[in-house]
Amino acid sequence: MDLARPDRQERLERLAAEYALGTLPGRVRARLARVARSEPRVAAAIEAWETRLAVLAAAVPGVAPSPRVWERIVSRLRLSAGIPAAPAAAPWWERLAFWKTLTATAFAVALALGIALLAQRPEPAQPLVAVLAGADGKPALIASARRSEPFLLVKAVGAAPVAPGKALELWMLPQGQPPRSLGVLPAGEVVRVPLAGPSDTALANIPALAVSLEPTGGSPTGLPTGPVLYSGRIERMY
Amino acid sequence: MADAVPDRNARVAALLARVALSDQQAFAELYRQTSPHLYAVALRILREPAAAEEILQEAYVNVWHHAGTYVAARSQPLTWLTAIVRNRCLDQLRRREVDTVTMSAEGDDEPAFDLPSGDPSPADLLLEGADAQSVRDCVDALDAGPKQAIALAFFQGLSHAELAAHMQEPLGTVKSWVRRGLERLKRCLDGAGFAR
Repeated sequence: MDLARPDRQERLERLAAEYALGTLPGRVRARLARVARSEPRVAAAIEAWETRLAVLAAAVPGVAPSPRVWERIVSRLRLSAGIPAAPAAAPWWERLAFWKTLTATAFAVALALGIALLAQRPEPAQPLVAVLAGADGKPALIASARRSEPFLLVKAVGAAPVAPGKALELWMLPQGQPPRSLGVLPAGEVVRVPLAGPSDTALANIPALAVSLEPTGGSPTGLPTGPVLYSGRIERMY
Repeated sequence: MADAVPDRNARVAALLARVALSDQQAFAELYRQTSPHLYAVALRILREPAAAEEILQEAYVNVWHHAGTYVAARSQPLTWLTAIVRNRCLDQLRRREVDTVTMSAEGDDEPAFDLPSGDPSPADLLLEGADAQSVRDCVDALDAGPKQAIALAFFQGLSHAELAAHMQEPLGTVKSWVRRGLERLKRCLDGAGFAR
């Protein structure tokens, strides 16, 4: 069949769409790929569909391949040694799954636990609260602030002890941007973490906080280098 | 997501241009920036790390040799890279099918494979991927059946027969969901200015 003929446009369109989506049976798929190599019109129809659907592929959270993949590529292509080696995985704060997990669990945890705990204080409840929980979902730290105060109060409620030579560093997680450090958490059951200004402006557009394990003195790079131990969404009750 | 797709495209295009000139540093950087995404795409479709690694390796070898053909022809480098990987995965899957007659009985009541827990489902990805509002509207406008069928096909490489088994619907129904869903998506996307 001459797929490139104008009157076959509709059928070509459908085949190209299903080729790009991937649902064509093997033989049809192979045949269409062959035709596309010699018929620019067919190749263009496929590419148009690949472009349309590529918008969707952008959502797949990255997974770091094993370092041996890069090693094999280097050896097959006989690239010179000294090439910067295989990449790390997408950083955790860029992973979609991280944000989805936060969204799914954090609000219920914050409401059920954070507010109850804070309500035990003599003063009125802080309107800005983030319950930072570990991978097991157990709350480790509770950060809270009043709107007008330029600091966060961070209360340890279940954080594991930190090994010598290590420190906990607190991060703001603006969505779609790299984390911004709020500094190393001092030791203590309740500590004060200074903010750049009143909490409602300093933390505006910051949906979540996280704590990573870093060398004493904090991350040497300005971005989290150690594992993220705890994280939680900021809930605002104003 | 890390940054807007257009920014990433511009960065990757610049790297590809240097790779076309056999710049090894640029190639390493391209690998660093794109391999986690491409590997994830392959892994979802092939479901076996060894097979996905093999495809990834082939794809980058191919990119090293053919970056020059890309640069002149296309404007969307991430699309190009993703298409190379997806097509190689799908070719391999469809070749495997020739040897297997039908899916096993237990395939009917179990998902094709288990995603790592916490990973978004295909349907979630379909919506998440639609980051521009107009694309999101288009995906949202699909009926549930077509939406699910397209998501499973796109993200997990299911064929018509596998979709029918997975969704427990007649083959004809699934085929027409896919066809109508794609037609509708095209009309909507092109209408919203997402044509090439």
